[in-house]
Amino acid sequence: MVVGDVTTAVDVLVLGAGPGGYVAAIRAAQLGHHVTLVDQGPPGGTCLNRGCIPLKALLSSTERYYDTQQEELAAMGIAAETVSFDWPRMQAWKQSVVDRLTDGVRRLVAGNHIDYVYGTGWFMNAQEVRVEGEHGSHRFKFDHCILAVGADAAGHPQLPYDGERVLTPEQALQLPELPNTLNILGDDYIALELATLFGRLGVEVKLYSPGEQILAGCDPTALRLVQSGLRKLGIQTATKTAIEYVTDRPVVISQGVSPHTAGLHLDAVGVNTSSNGGIAVNAMQQSSVPHILAVGDCTGGRALASVAMKQGKVAAEVLSGQRVQFAPLVTPLVVHTAPEIAMVGYAADEATQAGYPVVTGRFPLAANGRALTLGKDNGVALIVANADDGVLLGATIAGPRAGDLIGQAALAIEMGATLTDLAEILYAHPSLSEVLLESAENALGRAIHILSKG
Amino acid sequence: MTYEFKLADLGEGMHEAEIVQWLIDVGDTAKLDQAIAKVETDKAVVELPSPVTGRVSEIRVKDGQTAKVGDVLVVFETSAASSGDGTPKSSETPAVATSSAPTNMSSVATASSQSAPSVAARPRVQAAPAVRKLAFELGVDLEQVTPSSASGRVSLEDVRAYAERAGSATSGAQNGASTAEVASTAAPKEEQLAPSTSPVEKKVDQAGTEDQRQPLTGLRKRVAEHMERSWRTIPHATAFDEIDGGALITLRQALKPIAEQRGVRLTYMPLLIKLLIPLLKEFPIFNASLDEEKREIVYKRSYHIGVATDSPEGLLVPVMRNADRLTLMEVAAKLEKLIEGAQKRTLALPEVSGSTFTLNNVGSFGGGSGTPIINYPEAAILAVGRIQEKAIARQGAVIVRPVMPLALSFDHRLIDGAMSGKFLGRFKELVENPQQLMLDMV
Repeated sequence: MVVGDVTTAVDVLVLGAGPGGYVAAIRAAQLGHHVTLVDQGPPGGTCLNRGCIPLKALLSSTERYYDTQQEELAAMGIAAETVSFDWPRMQAWKQSVVDRLTDGVRRLVAGNHIDYVYGTGWFMNAQEVRVEGEHGSHRFKFDHCILAVGADAAGHPQLPYDGERVLTPEQALQLPELPNTLNILGDDYIALELATLFGRLGVEVKLYSPGEQILAGCDPTALRLVQSGLRKLGIQTATKTAIEYVTDRPVVISQGVSPHTAGLHLDAVGVNTSSNGGIAVNAMQQSSVPHILAVGDCTGGRALASVAMKQGKVAAEVLSGQRVQFAPLVTPLVVHTAPEIAMVGYAADEATQAGYPVVTGRFPLAANGRALTLGKDNGVALIVANADDGVLLGATIAGPRAGDLIGQAALAIEMGATLTDLAEILYAHPSLSEVLLESAENALGRAIHILSKG
Repeated sequence: MTYEFKLADLGEGMHEAEIVQWLIDVGDTAKLDQAIAKVETDKAVVELPSPVTGRVSEIRVKDGQTAKVGDVLVVFETSAASSGDGTPKSSETPAVATSSAPTNMSSVATASSQSAPSVAARPRVQAAPAVRKLAFELGVDLEQVTPSSASGRVSLEDVRAYAERAGSATSGAQNGASTAEVASTAAPKEEQLAPSTSPVEKKVDQAGTEDQRQPLTGLRKRVAEHMERSWRTIPHATAFDEIDGGALITLRQALKPIAEQRGVRLTYMPLLIKLLIPLLKEFPIFNASLDEEKREIVYKRSYHIGVATDSPEGLLVPVMRNADRLTLMEVAAKLEKLIEGAQKRTLALPEVSGSTFTLNNVGSFGGGSGTPIINYPEAAILAVGRIQEKAIARQGAVIVRPVMPLALSFDHRLIDGAMSGKFLGRFKELVENPQQLMLDMV
């Protein structure tokens, strides 16, 4: 790298190499652009390096550990008498998973001939970005720019993060030593997953929800299963908690994220932001300056990697002259509690509020052969459809691999499938996927493996 | 009760009709037989009468859209008391509704069905993600697309067809770089993520140099399709001849004042139609058509003569049904009505379809002569030109006679040149000696 104020003309400049940024960069490269990707750290962003992936890795290892403690194992004829865990080694394994994935993304970036620049960028004007990195300052003159700079944990103004007593979820995942007690404030999937993770390792966890229920927008039937799962781990839960009430430390605050747009000098180039600081974009991911696009958490939308990745592709295609938009009907949401819970589309009461005539179907995992053979029969599948035409509106699954099963429901909703469509196709037997079949047939009043009402 | 009003079978191989204009709005109450919409078929604009008395709850096919036979056009809410009106009365209007069973509103399932919502959710357009993607790419509003399948799902083909029909009107929307309005995506509710971009139409400020493009619609579109089909399917051949029109002029002048006394304007066309009938009986292949599927020649037993007519929107061919059974006066009177109907676009479907042979009076359009295109699926078409005085040679001397040019286009699959020559020769003989009509008069 050349030190000093050198201007490089680039075709597409992507700021931020998280799921939104690196996907946008690869798609733009596939479409024949010369792409420069800028991030201060390794590719993968929050999700891969500090968020979802580390969290899921630790959830897996703690689940394996916790499962050996359960009576079910003895019932299966397995004695696991001297099982123990080593938190630093759990952390090391987690890091090895992260490293492998990061390395994979790095290869993809290089394989697509994308220039990777370490540094932080901000706008000088509507055509130029200055990147300050370890090798000095560099100016990039771009034709198109995609902003994928992500977001930071929002926290609470009365309880600023200090990294020791008040923690971000990311910091909680990197605690060098396991605390004896942990307080978690939040009603999103991250709060629930952190509670589950630490609860499994014997940490005394208290979960405080600011809202009415411990997981906003979740079907009450599935929520009860999650709640009893937390109780089984010895986790105390409290709802409608005012922040002043939480005096114990350390406390992890998961209150959503705020877009990381402060240092970009957006006002200097006329890129508008919305009230939450997110970059205002249209469905084609264009900002108020059309050749500057934005994707993912920095737009202030739902902070989900799945959303960011799709938006990244849309942005790359739009700047290549294609007419595409980000317009999925539904967004699957997965929470790795015990049992795992996954949701897509409307819950029954949401559908009713939206004005649909609603018909529902349910099927307990206790009646599913595969769930029983797995020794994990705690769960339920709930299905919501339009009573007039049977078109699927939503599904909630609680149980093992719910996050993988929900994909089929998402496809069905996007395709406009009806209950009859779901009931007509074949499902491997025995398999967990049969819960979709049975809940659809239950909604149609003819499930085989449970007795229909009335 | 709800009553779904479907587009009825229009007959004559017509499968679709365009809703030109609704005369009612959602929320209006329509009375039985009240005109509710203007509908354009291949041949005519007709008014649809309401099949029931009831409140209009939904209009499914919007102004300017094309509906296929069987499509639900409009949904009525009828009170139980008036449900006896549910059987549509027969009407002279050709596009009367078939009766459709009122839809059962009861829930399809046994499981919990919750309290009825106060607001009905707008029904989602049933379309797979790939279809929605294509619709956005082509700038098509899915709500406007009529699904071709009975299931109501919009297909890729439906979207493409709609885009093609919309044609150049939406060409501005295809501009990928168009600046769409910036909408904040803050906290989007997933199901409400409707396509929010309305691409800004690029204003082409080069009027005068740009070609003007106008979509092919309405009657013009139908004429174009009909001509294409005829020209593509039928191997056309055209034979020309000239007739001495002297006798015809004399005959018309003799009959005209008497006809006028009876309130009928006698032109050459009724005379030519009457002269044509014995000819078609003598040469039945000219009153026939080819059944392409079965590879059979269909000889028609009825003599419905199409009369090519100009209308403000283009060519129309009103049909003189059973011309062989009408007197000359009846033919003349009927023709007057047909031409008036064509110009006002008020013809009923039987008056514009089902002809077995077509006569085209090019002369009435001001033309000397021309090569006519067969009115598919007929076997031939005869064009007569304007009668003009011409110098012709007869028995070694040049004399001036009123001459009428003829052009006979025929389907060469069915008719050969020799046959067409005989046909024209016999027609010439009849027109030059119209008194021969007396011989076969009933």
